Amino acid sequence: MYVTVRVEVEKCSGCKLCIVSCPDPNVLAFIPEAKHVVVNEHRCKGCGLCATVCPEEALTVSGN
Amino acid sequence: MSKGLFRISPGFEDVMPAEYKELVTNGPYGRDLGVKDLGTFKELIEEHPLCAGCAEALALRLILASLPSPEDTVIVGSTGCSSLLFTQVAVQNIHSLFGNQNAVATGLKRALRLRFPDKVKDVVVIAGDGATVDIGLDMVMQSWFRRELITTIMLDNEVYANTGGQESGMSPQGAVLYMAPLGKKFPKVNLPEIAREAGCAYVATISPALPRRLGKVVRRAILVAREIGPSYVQVFCPCPTNFKWPSAQVLQKIRDRQKEGIFKVREYVSPEAEAYLAGLEVERQHDEQE
Repeated sequence: MYVTVRVEVEKCSGCKLCIVSCPDPNVLAFIPEAKHVVVNEHRCKGCGLCATVCPEEALTVSGN
Repeated sequence: MSKGLFRISPGFEDVMPAEYKELVTNGPYGRDLGVKDLGTFKELIEEHPLCAGCAEALALRLILASLPSPEDTVIVGSTGCSSLLFTQVAVQNIHSLFGNQNAVATGLKRALRLRFPDKVKDVVVIAGDGATVDIGLDMVMQSWFRRELITTIMLDNEVYANTGGQESGMSPQGAVLYMAPLGKKFPKVNLPEIAREAGCAYVATISPALPRRLGKVVRRAILVAREIGPSYVQVFCPCPTNFKWPSAQVLQKIRDRQKEGIFKVREYVSPEAEAYLAGLEVERQHDEQE
């Protein structure tokens, strides 16, 4: 199992800080209707930059 | 390049890759999108083989999201980590020999002006610190002396990262790297000052730890290079692999360097460029009111 980030949707406030901190394209996407982010786990390299910038601690790197 | 090129020919809808279909239906072409809209549209980079936590990849992602008109932009790249990524970017791009990027961009810009006299075509050079400061400094500075209307963006990762970690002109003084075991003996080259003196109308240093400001800086640099003169943007994005940092700490390290005063966010706008940008801003507000 690859290292990947997971979102706790209840905690996510939709600030999009993680999206502008992720070095990989098309990994984190914002759902405007639900106002939270989703992760494309197949593309995530698990660097953890998004988790360090998240003010709500909604992102955790897991899988290894 | 016309926006009409980004469509799928009738009858080929079911055989085209899903990524391409998404680029056609939800791509950034012809739409006024920026860094703030990331995550809601299909990005111009598909995937890349750069390391996890690479600040340079983040910088490139933000730069490509803030191009004012990606369909009319040609990117000139050079050898380095960034050239590994440009094979998977949906913008016209050309790879030049190591250090030749600004000379290639000069010819390209002049040819585009002859071929499309009534269209705005942006030529943007995106190269690493090795190509800009060490090997290509001659070509870079000569293009500024000639006042060529091109934007030069340097991705300052402070090391020759993909050849094993040799020191570059932009490595900080005393940096011990895989292939510089005694530490670097002289300080970072002050290229923003050189650029200002060499005739750039717009010079800025920025880092991907300030994503919205980076987007604004890149946009302004490209707009200035359309009319006024050459522009230069230096993006500070140190390499976590060669400096042996955990991948999750890169942005914090950049912020620390900024706090210590080693890296400074600076912007120089020449008076003509300032007047031009102010005029564009007035025009934009006028359009919005209508």
